[in-house]
Amino acid sequence: MTTIIPADPPPVLQLDRVTRRRAGRTAVRELSLSLARGQVLGLLGVNGAGKSTTLSMIAGALRPDSGAIKLNGEDFLERPELARTAIGWLPERAPLWPELNVVEHLDAHARLRGMRGAARHAARSAIIERLELQPLARRLAGVLSQGQRQRLGLACALVHRPALLVLDEPANALDPVQVAALRSLIREQAAAGTAVILSTHVLSEVTAVCDRVAILHEGALQHEGTVEAGDHAALERRFFEIAMNPRPAQAA
Amino acid sequence: MSTLAVARLEWRRLLVRPLAWVLAALTLAWLGWNFTVLLGSFLAGQIQRAALPDGPGFTDLVAVPLLGQLAQLAFLVVPLLTMSAIAGERRSGTLPLLFAAGVPASRIVLGKYLALLGWLLLWLVLTLAMPLTLAHATDLDGGKLAAAALGLALMLAALAALGLACSGFASHPAIAAAAALILGLALWSVNLGAQMAGIDGGAINWLAMSTHVQPLLRGLVSSADLLWFALLIGLSLALATRHLSTERERG
Repeated sequence: MTTIIPADPPPVLQLDRVTRRRAGRTAVRELSLSLARGQVLGLLGVNGAGKSTTLSMIAGALRPDSGAIKLNGEDFLERPELARTAIGWLPERAPLWPELNVVEHLDAHARLRGMRGAARHAARSAIIERLELQPLARRLAGVLSQGQRQRLGLACALVHRPALLVLDEPANALDPVQVAALRSLIREQAAAGTAVILSTHVLSEVTAVCDRVAILHEGALQHEGTVEAGDHAALERRFFEIAMNPRPAQAA
Repeated sequence: MSTLAVARLEWRRLLVRPLAWVLAALTLAWLGWNFTVLLGSFLAGQIQRAALPDGPGFTDLVAVPLLGQLAQLAFLVVPLLTMSAIAGERRSGTLPLLFAAGVPASRIVLGKYLALLGWLLLWLVLTLAMPLTLAHATDLDGGKLAAAALGLALMLAALAALGLACSGFASHPAIAAAAALILGLALWSVNLGAQMAGIDGGAINWLAMSTHVQPLLRGLVSSADLLWFALLIGLSLALATRHLSTERERG
């Protein structure tokens, strides 16, 4: 009698030697990363390190010049439509349609992600309740405060229950109470099996919610490792070492 | 499915922006006033025309000239309506959201085009409703009016595709509107300059939109004219799609 041992599921996200040039310079250089179900990866780096470009490529808004991106083992560059159901993305500064209200935003995102009828209504109501957006439901996005915009952007990224959540500086403009709520939401998503990748400048953000950390400098991966509870000082030391004395990157 | 989602989103954005309503209200009021004036002239000249056995009727003197006025307004209205479709999204940073939703560039363009076309056809229908309200009391030539309406619908569809292409290429909605206005007018009258220079016929006449709209307004439907519109619409949408795909590649 033979025993069939189930194969390990592929990582939710796998980047293999991804390179991207932008504005005449190499924004991301030969970046390789992987992220399993339920993991939270923090992407750290100084301004211009390549974090947003990396996240835009992972989200499917930008194509790499070379390298491969796999989503659940499937070639994402060959099949960009995988982004539709698998990825939720909150870009930096949460771009919104100013003339649409909160409910219309969530409806539009759910429709774009292929949700229909009752499922769309249920998902919309659930995310409105979870992010406490009820008082803002009929308010136009154009009149929301920056923190409210950020919460709506997050709701749009989550409405279709993606397997991979991509957050670009999600705590921007949030007050301390909202930051605490965001951290709790990220942990809740991870516990439910969602893989989360978030970029931030705030080191305490990483130690509070991330399982792993990757530090980028001038587009190259300089450090990758696990985050242990309470090792904020060690992470800070490592971050500043890299920011001040990065390993030389290969010329693009 | 994603085309419809984009179309619904664009339609919703059109409906909640004041621009579309203001344009509709102003142009329909203008057309309504002109309809009244045309009708007044038609009624005033009824006795003289009664002497002519095959004289022009209500369709020639009221309905088709009204559609002609709609055509003139379209050169301004369509660029204003289409200018924000893609350039506005680019400016507000929402275009990458559509890319990241896995919607191919072709479907983004097609979805937006369908929404704009819906608004423009509604505008045409409301204009057509004016002469049609008198259909029971006049000798309305249904065939001629249908041909003229088809010509106007095709012209609006072509200008919308051109406007969308301009919006796809422009960095700012105002630039898109100006480009669409200039291109639309140039396309309409490209043969006039040649005619003034003594060159008539051939390729330059074929290029001009007026060459293909005017027969339809006279009630003549030809497959060559329909093909010209199909080519212009297809080319404009293909250019917009190609530019959007390149933008996604280049970032």
